[in-house]
Amino acid sequence: MLELKDVHTYYGNIHALKGISLKVNDGEIVTLIGSNGAGKTTTLRTIQGLLKPRSGSIKLDDLELHKLPSHQVATHGIAQSPEGRMIFPRMSVMENLEMGAYARSDKDGIGKDLDRVLTLFPRLRERIKQKGGTLSGGEQQMLAMARALMARPRILLLDEPSMGLAPILVDLIFETIVSINKEGTTILLVEQNALMALSIANRGYVLQTGEIILSDTSDNLRNNDEVQKSYLGVV
Amino acid sequence: MNEKMKRGIIIALVAGFVTLLFGGWAVSVAGAIAGMGLGFFLGGKNTEKTIAAAIKAALGPIAVSAGLILVISLLDDLVVATAIGKTPNDPLTMIEVNLVAIISFFAFACLLTATSTLSEKKQRNAQIILLIFVIISFPFVDNFTGLRWTPQIIFALIFTILALGLNIVVGFAGLLDLGYAAFFAIGAYTTGILSSPQHGIFLNFWLVIWIAAAVAGTFGLILGAPTLPLRGDYLAIVTLGFGEIVPVLFKNLIKVTIQEPFTCWIIPAITKLFGASSSLACITFIKDVDLTAGEKGINPIGRPWLPFIGEFQSDNPIPWYFLIIAIILMSVFIIRRLRDSRLGRAWMAVREDELAASQMGIDPVRTKLLAFAMGAMFSGFAGAFYGAYIRAIFPSVFDFSVSIIVLCMVILGGLGNINGVIVGGLVIMSADRLFLPALKDFLAGLLKNTILPALAGNPTLKAAVEQNANPILYRFLLFGLTLVIMMAVRPQGLIPSAQRKAELVGDENEPTEPLTATEG
Repeated sequence: MLELKDVHTYYGNIHALKGISLKVNDGEIVTLIGSNGAGKTTTLRTIQGLLKPRSGSIKLDDLELHKLPSHQVATHGIAQSPEGRMIFPRMSVMENLEMGAYARSDKDGIGKDLDRVLTLFPRLRERIKQKGGTLSGGEQQMLAMARALMARPRILLLDEPSMGLAPILVDLIFETIVSINKEGTTILLVEQNALMALSIANRGYVLQTGEIILSDTSDNLRNNDEVQKSYLGVV
Repeated sequence: MNEKMKRGIIIALVAGFVTLLFGGWAVSVAGAIAGMGLGFFLGGKNTEKTIAAAIKAALGPIAVSAGLILVISLLDDLVVATAIGKTPNDPLTMIEVNLVAIISFFAFACLLTATSTLSEKKQRNAQIILLIFVIISFPFVDNFTGLRWTPQIIFALIFTILALGLNIVVGFAGLLDLGYAAFFAIGAYTTGILSSPQHGIFLNFWLVIWIAAAVAGTFGLILGAPTLPLRGDYLAIVTLGFGEIVPVLFKNLIKVTIQEPFTCWIIPAITKLFGASSSLACITFIKDVDLTAGEKGINPIGRPWLPFIGEFQSDNPIPWYFLIIAIILMSVFIIRRLRDSRLGRAWMAVREDELAASQMGIDPVRTKLLAFAMGAMFSGFAGAFYGAYIRAIFPSVFDFSVSIIVLCMVILGGLGNINGVIVGGLVIMSADRLFLPALKDFLAGLLKNTILPALAGNPTLKAAVEQNANPILYRFLLFGLTLVIMMAVRPQGLIPSAQRKAELVGDENEPTEPLTATEG
């Protein structure tokens, strides 16, 4: 469904992505793991159109995403819960969620999805009138995910959903990711917490300094010596 | 002393100040308006259920406040008037104006307090009806009492429209624009060019005002385009530059020549490059046209005309007043609709976080350009009205200070809040146009009749006092001081929008404790 072919992205003169090729099939959870600075967030930003690849192609089915500006990518069924959350701090939770559905015009569908995400994240229902900026870190993460879901994306890009959260909350967030996936949303998950990510994903890619060094099913990756040593902390 | 009493005294002192400055019938008008203000406040605090109980509870502050106004008014008539060299009111008028003041003060204060016992919706309707009554009766009362405030209020309302337009750009979309006066100038000059003897074009005002808005809006787009990649400080500097360029341009567009470029410059330049001489016929469309009349300015500019009223005249401000009220009502209606529309939400999202907004599917380029264009459009209305009302326009009127004053109105009133911006505009402009000149006359009178004779023994001091006791000289000082105090005491503005308030003072929804495991 989503396919990147030999994507090269630069920050000025810095060669951040050195030929990334990856594929996400319909209904999968695919994870992208790697250490700091490996290019995980850059990959997601390139998919979203916030960064332009210098060469290579990004395709959603037959649509060439790399040729579209970022705001149009959003209208083609790709939504991201960004790193650092990027919620609208001065808008209420409700307004944030409404912004998520900005590109849609089906009122009934939006109402249903609102109900759905609030069932998924009951905590947000309690905070519906509160300003986004006054939520706690975990709540902001939920809001960022819920807002992305409001776009009813075909594919949801999640950037470090566990970052800065208490372990108990991380479990909750990952359970929610699984249930979102079961409802039919394809997920591309970027994580530093490789163990957690591999435990829920179908397949995984290992990214190192802008290149993909490994790709396999989650189970195989988890048993791979290199991965165990570098990312899972097994000695 | 409780809060109600305190508020009553503050309102009475303000009304008393107005009375001292203007004298005569001012006490009646100030009394009526103060009564509304106090009644509005007391009504908001009221917890009683029946009308009688509500009024009874409010009677204390009302009576104290009324008494205070009466005392100041009598003081004005008996002591101050002579001190500043005005002829005091004759006793009959004195009784009359004070009686009207006190009765209307009581009536309005009690009436508004009483409305608080109604349901919320009915109370709101009652307030709106009262507001309409005040707006409609104001110029007639003003005319009858001989205060002549209306022309100044019309000025204040012109600037209020500017503030409303700038609020779209700065308040809604968060783009700091320091050159807004440029669009005001463009609106005014469009009107001037299209309806004056300058070019012998005399289009109808009712048509010109729309053309002016459209032209100003187009220039909003033109300014918006190069500023799109800029943010914050950089954007402010570019808009500042634009604001400086436009008046200079209007000052210098006095010999405009438009020639068809190919045969005039391009081909001759090429042939000259090869050493040949060309003798092409150059097509000149316009030659040496005086477009804007430079420093002299354009005048007289055509005035609006309506059946029954005829052409609007300078000596009768009432039609002008109602025209500007109509333009404001239309602007407020359109701006409210814009704010609540998809575009309004996109503005807010771009203001909060441009990257996140574009991830939601909002086109930041289009959104920002539309903010500039819509904002500029309203200054086009203001410019057209200004041109027709003043009849003459000069480039120097539209300088940097206009941009800053309008920006201050927006900030003082409450960034992003439509009602706040209107209040901010009225407060600043009436302070500038109404109170400072009155204060100047007051001080001048006081000096001439009381203080200077007392200082006759010390000529140096006398000269110094005489030269410096003019508040108009301190206009920008007072203005800056107000802003500094305002930013320190109430940074969110007089009537803040809910979002700014949350940001600047923290609202009741404080950050919550982190999620606990049991709730998962």
